Parts: sequence; C-alpha cells; structure tokens
Amino acid sequence: MTLPRFDVLVPETVEQACSLLAEHGGGARVLAGGTDLLVDLKRPIVQERLIEAGGGDPGRFTTLGDGEPGAIDPWGSGDPPPDVLISLHKLAGLKRIEVLDDGRLRVGALATAREIQRVPEIRDRWTALAEGADSLGSPLVRARGTIGGNICNARPAADITVPAICLGAQLELQSPDGSRTLPGEQFILAPGVTVIEPAEILTAVTFPALSARTGSAYYKLGQRKALEISVVGVAVYVELAGDDTVQAACVTLGAVGPTPLAARSAAEVLAGGKPTGELLARAARAAAADATPIDDHRGTAEYRRLMVEMLTRRTLELAVERAGGRS
Amino acid sequence: MKRIISLAVNGVEHELAVEPRRTLLELLREDLSLTGTKKGCGIGDCGGCTVLLDGVPAFSCLTLAVQAEGCSVETVEGLAGNGRLSSLQRAFVEDGAIQCGFCTPGMLMTATELLRANPHPDEREIRLAISGNLCRCTGYQKIVEAIRHAAEADHE
Ligand SMILES: Cc1cc2nc3c(=O)[nH]c(=O)nc-3n(C[C@H](O)[C@H](O)[C@H](O)COP(=O)(O)OP(=O)(O)OC[C@H]3O[C@@H](n4cnc5c(N)ncnc54)[C@H](O)[C@@H]3O)c2cc1C
Ligand code: FES
Ligand code: FES
Repeated sequence: MTLPRFDVLVPETVEQACSLLAEHGGGARVLAGGTDLLVDLKRPIVQERLIEAGGGDPGRFTTLGDGEPGAIDPWGSGDPPPDVLISLHKLAGLKRIEVLDDGRLRVGALATAREIQRVPEIRDRWTALAEGADSLGSPLVRARGTIGGNICNARPAADITVPAICLGAQLELQSPDGSRTLPGEQFILAPGVTVIEPAEILTAVTFPALSARTGSAYYKLGQRKALEISVVGVAVYVELAGDDTVQAACVTLGAVGPTPLAARSAAEVLAGGKPTGELLARAARAAAADATPIDDHRGTAEYRRLMVEMLTRRTLELAVERAGGRS
Repeated sequence: MKRIISLAVNGVEHELAVEPRRTLLELLREDLSLTGTKKGCGIGDCGGCTVLLDGVPAFSCLTLAVQAEGCSVETVEGLAGNGRLSSLQRAFVEDGAIQCGFCTPGMLMTATELLRANPHPDEREIRLAISGNLCRCTGYQKIVEAIRHAAEADHE
C-alpha cells in the first residue's frame, strides 16, 4: 500500500461534514477529488521507496507545490498527516453549477474542471474560468480535480484559482457556527495557507453578473501542453463602457509570487482608457512590474517577467475582442 | 477498521470489506484479481490505471475504494463481450498500436469513453483526449490511427 493509515468518514450533508471536522479537530482533512491530497499523502512513501531502490530524483515529487518557497514540505504548514479524511463525494448538491436569476454564476465546490469546461454559459461569458479549467493537468486530472480543491490547496500557479479570483469570485464557507462569504482575493495567505477555519468547508464559488460588454481570458504558459505546472499564468477581465473606454479591468497573475497576484497597477493603467494597442502594452508593462517572480527549474525570474508582459498584452487583446471592442 | 462497500465491476456486483486507505486500483488488482488495470506512477501522471467510474475516466490510483461505493466501474476486462474484442481493441491490434502493452488498458478505457461521447473525433480531439495517458513505446501515432479506424469501423 502506498497510502498511510487513516480513516475515511463519508458525511451525507454539509452540516454533518462540518461537525465531523469540528469533532476531529486538526487531525482531519477534507477530501474532494483527491488529486492534490492523495498525492501529498503518497509522496513520503513513494519517495522512500525510490530512494531504497537506489534511484529517483528526490525533487521529483515536489511538482505540485513547486516554484515557491516552502514547497518541499508536503504539508506546507508543517502539520502532521491526517488520521481522518472527510470525503465529500456523497454531497451531490455541491456539484451543482447554475446561473442564478440575478445573473450571477454559482459553481458548487465539488464541480470538477471537466464539468466546468462543458458548461456553454461559462465558455461563453466567464471564459477565463473555462480556459482555466481547460488548463488543469490532463483530461484525467480534469475529470477528478474540483474547483474547491484547487482553491483550498492554495497554490500560486493554480489554474482554476487564478482566473476565478480575476473574475471576482466570492467564496461561500460553511462551519458549524454558520456561513460567511469572502472575496477570493482575501482567501489565500501563502503557499498552501488560507484563512479557512478548521471546521469550515468551501461550499460554492459565486461570480458577479456580467454586463454584455465584458470579455475575459486565461493563458497558461508551460513547457508542454499537458501535465504541466505553469511557468506563468495570466487571467484578465475587461469591461467596456458605451463609449468604448475601459469601465473596469482586472489582471491576475499565477506562478509569479507566493499567492495568485493582483496586478493592481495594470488595472489602474487600463481604467478609463481607450483600449488601444498602446494602452494594452502599457498595462502589460505595469503587470510585469507588479510581478514578484523567483528563479526555479521551470524558468528564471527574468524570463517569467518577460512572459508576464507578453502574455498580459495578448490576453488583454483577446479579452477586449471578446468584449466586443477592438484593440 | 475495514468498511463494507458494494460496487459493480463490469456489470458484476461485488460486496467487499476494504481498508479506508485502499485505492480502487488495489481493490481491482488485488481483491478482484483484475490485473488488466496497470499501476504505473501511482500519482496521476501516467494514466495506466484509468478505469471508467460511472462512465467517466478516472485514475484508479488516486481514487479510494470507498469513494467508488455504489458506483459502476468499467475496466479493460469488460470491453470484450462473449470472447469478441471490441472494435477499438481490434483496431489497436491490427494497427500495431500495442508494443509492450503497458499503457494499452488505460488508453483503451480513455478512448472508449471518447468514442461514446464523440463518435467522430478528429485528430486533434483524439490527441487531446489521450493527453493524460502516457506511452513510452509507440510514439502515439499508431494509437491515434487505431482510434480513428475504430471510429470509422463503427459507422460503416
Ligand atoms: C497529474 C496531476 C496534474 C496536475 N496538474 C495541475 C495543473 O496543471 N494545474 C493546477 O492548478 N493543478 C494541477 N494539479 C493539482 C490538482 O489536480 C488541482 O489542484 C485540483 O483542482 C485539486 O482538486 P481536488 O478536488 O482533487 O482536491 P483535493 O486533493 O481533494 O483537495 C485539495 C485540498 O483542498 C482541501 N479541500 C478540497 N475541497 C475542499 C472544500 N470543499 N472545502 C474545504 N477544503 C477543501 C483538501 O482538504 C486539500 O487540502 C495536478 C494534479 C495531478 C495529480
Ligand atoms: S498509476 Fe495512476 S496515473 Fe499513473
Ligand atoms: S505500448 Fe508500451 S507504453 Fe504504450
């Protein structure tokens, strides 16, 4: 067996899931698709066997949290492995994806990337989210990996999280004490560390309604097309006013800082301007200045900064086009 | 403590006592002796362990057996009916899409699901669909051709 010993509890309701978490305190972890958590749990055992077999690159199993400080510690926060997993797989209600009457999009925390990819309204209107889901790992990863897991795992390169934050995601969290809603950009504090309380579960992610003239895009730069952690990820959102100026804009960067990063000066450059090639290029330079990349085996800080500039310009052009404007 | 779970594997109902940490892959290979499903990396990278879980491809190495409770599982052993290979399996044999064969069960499960959802995939769609299944032997070309030929054979 490659997994350590643990018990698995299978709640039938969200309330039950929260109270089980509360009951087991720090020793319990939530299990969604398991594509992060089970890999983390297997890592020490697989690594030990590789070393025993006299081979293996000890860096091999750091892929998921790679490219950021603290990535080598599989627990991020230094917590011991859990003795209880609370598996959410029976909570069918958390899989639901719907456009609400007021125009907001609500995606249940257990919706998989594959399910998100296939919703026509998301492709059409919350395009960056669909493109983030498209970029996750491989078809097999997309079939299991959930939006909730991607966000709660809190990696700076997370391909659903970066566009979700860019599109103004609001996170619905539930605990035995009630529920609260938190802006996505306030959720992640450091690699693998979030503000989630020990007995809290992320139940859904909602996105603000979009006016007709909005466009968004996400681009993940990796070294290959599948099974790759991004070198740089760029999500952009643009809303145009009636006179074709930029009414609102947001640029969110992945893999160039300890958390998904809001490129605030890029948004400031864009606000109120005509989205000409010159303006978008200026915003792209501002985004590159906002980035705080580091060197690692996937790319140097300098390369990443250059790529942020180029990809921000390109994704902005695409988003403006999608919003019905020209750049 | 072991759990009693029930699940259907290739249409056959099973009730089994499993340890909570047992993966679906271990259940298939070790408890049910269905060794067609392969263990490669064990961490989601290779696709060798791909099965269909309620019709959706899933890596069985990162799925706990208890998560498959009540599900229908399809493995490579279920593809041939009455001793007759499926048209996809036949195409793999005829087109030389199998060399060492280690990736084949996972490829077949992924491609089976692709063809159910999309009976006429183009080459790009085929390549995208199998992009989570690694093959160290064939260079993929023959696999892509076999999937295309199977799609054509099914609609002649
Ligand atoms: C081969 C492979 C390739 C990958 N490639 C990529 C990639 O390209 N891009 C990328 O971003 N990621 C990638 N990943 C990582 C992973 O697939 C994603 O982060 C995925 O979205 C995680 O979702 P999950 O449901 O599997 O999470 P799980 O592993 O089940 O959970 C992850 C963490 O979140 C917590 N959690 C999950 N759901 C909730 C909830 N509802 N409430 C509270 N806490 C919760 C868990 O306790 C755990 O700490 C890859 C993984 C593998 C194995
Ligand atoms: S063994 Fe499951 S993906 Fe490699
Ligand atoms: S035939 Fe050998 S791995 Fe594919």
